[in-house]
Amino acid sequence: MKGFNIAIVGLGGQGIITMGTVLKNAALDSDLKDVSGSERRGGAQREGYVETFVKYIFYEKESELRDPRKNIHSPMIQSGGADVLISLEPLETLRGAHYINKNSTVIFNKIPHIPISVRMGQACYPDISDIRSRLKNICGRVFEYDFDGLSLSNFNSLMQRNIIALGVLFSKTDIPIDKPIIEGILSKGKGGKENLEAFHLGLEVS
Amino acid sequence: MSRKNLLINGKKGDKAILLGNEAIARGAIEAGIGYASMYPGTPASEIIIALDKNKQYIENFYSEFSLNEHVSLHGAIGASWSGVRALCAMKNVGLNVASEPAHFLAYTGVKAGLVIAIGSDPGAPSSSNEQDDRWYSFHTGMPIMEPADIQEAKDFTRDAFGISEKFSFGIILNAPARLCHNAGTIHFDDPKDRAGIEGNFIKDPDNYLNLFNLVVKNHNKYIKRGNLLKEFLSNSPFNFAITWPPQSSGKGMGRERTGFISAGVIYSHLIESLNILEEKDNKILKLGFTYPISEELIGDFVKDLDRVVIVEEGEGFLEFQIKKIAYEIGFKGKIHGKDIFKMAGELTLDDVITGLSEFLCKSTPEYFDISVRKSAEVEEALPQRSGTFCIGCPHRATIYSVLKAIGFSHTDGKERDNVVIAGDIGCYTLSLLPPYNAMDFLTCMNAGLGIGQAISRFDKKKKVIALVGDSTFFHSGIPVLLNAVQNNADVLYIILDNSWTAMTGHQRTPSTPKCVDGTSLQGSVNIKELVKSLGVTNVKSLDPNSVKRFSSHVKSMLKEKGLKVLIAKRECILQEERRKKILKAESPEKAEAVSLYEIQKERCVKCNECFLELACPAISLKNEKTPGGENLEYYYIDPASCVKCGVCYEICPNSAIRKVEYNLKPVHPGTEGEYERV
Repeated sequence: MKGFNIAIVGLGGQGIITMGTVLKNAALDSDLKDVSGSERRGGAQREGYVETFVKYIFYEKESELRDPRKNIHSPMIQSGGADVLISLEPLETLRGAHYINKNSTVIFNKIPHIPISVRMGQACYPDISDIRSRLKNICGRVFEYDFDGLSLSNFNSLMQRNIIALGVLFSKTDIPIDKPIIEGILSKGKGGKENLEAFHLGLEVS
Repeated sequence: MSRKNLLINGKKGDKAILLGNEAIARGAIEAGIGYASMYPGTPASEIIIALDKNKQYIENFYSEFSLNEHVSLHGAIGASWSGVRALCAMKNVGLNVASEPAHFLAYTGVKAGLVIAIGSDPGAPSSSNEQDDRWYSFHTGMPIMEPADIQEAKDFTRDAFGISEKFSFGIILNAPARLCHNAGTIHFDDPKDRAGIEGNFIKDPDNYLNLFNLVVKNHNKYIKRGNLLKEFLSNSPFNFAITWPPQSSGKGMGRERTGFISAGVIYSHLIESLNILEEKDNKILKLGFTYPISEELIGDFVKDLDRVVIVEEGEGFLEFQIKKIAYEIGFKGKIHGKDIFKMAGELTLDDVITGLSEFLCKSTPEYFDISVRKSAEVEEALPQRSGTFCIGCPHRATIYSVLKAIGFSHTDGKERDNVVIAGDIGCYTLSLLPPYNAMDFLTCMNAGLGIGQAISRFDKKKKVIALVGDSTFFHSGIPVLLNAVQNNADVLYIILDNSWTAMTGHQRTPSTPKCVDGTSLQGSVNIKELVKSLGVTNVKSLDPNSVKRFSSHVKSMLKEKGLKVLIAKRECILQEERRKKILKAESPEKAEAVSLYEIQKERCVKCNECFLELACPAISLKNEKTPGGENLEYYYIDPASCVKCGVCYEICPNSAIRKVEYNLKPVHPGTEGEYERV
């Protein structure tokens, strides 16, 4: 039994939960046997820390599906258990850093959102270079982007930054989902065209 | 087929990604419920939201967001006695409010199945305590089911109705936030046919009347029914044991024979932890029912064990029961539980891995250790981040006005020692966080005025302000206010009326005047008239976004003796914005003129009034290099996030914020956000 674990972190209102939902629905459409992962949405008031987990589960043998020692999974990811950490806020990337190990990939938005404690002068916001080096101290694959700027300049709104990040997830990691499946999910419903464009932007951005 | 419709119309063979809460709702649909209700509360809200928003597609179905949990459970009992299966959901503390009906339910029994789905909140990310409602079962007699994952959340809910009918108990379905908000794959079964759902109240005085000797009779009856249920649970599919793996009977491995007992989400942590630790040589008992627990079941499981480890969250509900059973039947081994796992806070996957690793003397994987060590170093230095009001939230204006009226200022270092602010439950609870720190206590629903009126009686040196939201006021605040009237309390009671139960996803309150699409709601209650009719003579209703006016009324009302009620009346900004979008989409020609607010760098002296005192998140600090190479720091209103509430414009003492009118015509047709300047 193997798995592919993704931890997604950020702030309330950034579309973190949506990213998780899209990735889970992709598992359903790809006929993966199992996917789960809990959301931390209670504290998802504006500005608050939000996280969601996506755990893709592969069963090597059919018998594992019936084995009670194998066929149930925690909704959480253990320390060091994430293959990928995606974050839409630099500081929160560090807060989520306990999910990564030396083989993980980190994708983060380098545009800070200053917490109240820093506004009040009670704490300092770390430099982006400091955040970067702390992450690189844990794992080698660290990618940073200006997702805010990419979304604003291409879509005139911040609404697409989470979908752009999903595009990057597909270009930088071995996520076990085929691109057309995600494209199919994103193209459905309101804003489908923009979502698809945002995803492709994320795929191509270097 | 869309996800929403699948929830209602899905058949055997269909699968979907559902939230734990939606899975509970689906289980209830499969069981053929005809009634669903709740007073909204995180983490359980989506259970009834999922049903209520689809109610027009569900045949013979009634759902409501009740005024409080007490009324909600009575409603479910009424449905059950009318022969209609009923689901009542609530958050953990909701059972306190519903505890009175809950204590009669075992006496009277049910007619059609009744399930109470409770969203508990270990770690309390969205509650004011960590209450574990399972302990209620010792005195309500209600059986408890604990699903371990999303599939079980659906299946257990579906099956609970039949068991409820068979043994005539209301069944508690306990779901912690980790399950309520777990989303994953779920496989459907066929729903029960809905055509026959029809109410028929059959009089049953033997069970429904509770007075004198009838009480004792009914008490005896439910003890007997409880014993029958226990017998059923000694061999049911809901509780099962995983026996020794092949080739190892636990014996002869040079160590004690070990068995684990667990339930619910923590069981899923246990299984994953054992896999991570590569620990196979053990037996496991999974309890689907955690009350009552069959003596036979425990006896059977522990008989070939030297030690039992109970893996559970909270203060040891299972340990308490299992120790009693095991020691009574003469178990000689050791029973562990809360000596390994913590009692307070959420029991995480990491906690279970670490606890088991230490207890079993098995090392954790290297990546786990490194990650735990490195993240401890990192997290120590991280600034705290706390939630706050949405941009444009009227509560921010209310709280700011109150703090200004009583002379509080961060920038000038002025405290508010002579005023007690009594807190309550709702979006405005966020005002207890920095930078406002505008609550001196926070406990349960309507504790603010309740405790506040007594403080005002005893501490004459301090003024008391009690805060309450509209939904919380309707929940159970009216008797508290009447009590304050009757006993002439000296309190300023501020009702923050934003027209919705906003924090849990905008359910209607009795005073909601119009739907989000703009249609007015008939019979909506006028809070000011209601308060007057309760005997309050000193009552005002003001728009809090007129900050100066609101603040001066707070100040003057505080000087008056007796009970004063000030209603801060302004709709939740999220609903207002949604309505604007709907109206704009319907009739683009009617769109209102757009005005943006901007801070003029040359006039701003960074006095901090907007940035730190009001602390609107749309205002941020920016850095820029001047042509002369100097570093210029200035405050800036982000036009992408500002909702143009205008509060910062009103409060700026230096008139540095100006309003800029924009033309209605977009610069690039079809795009939003860019407008031609007037």
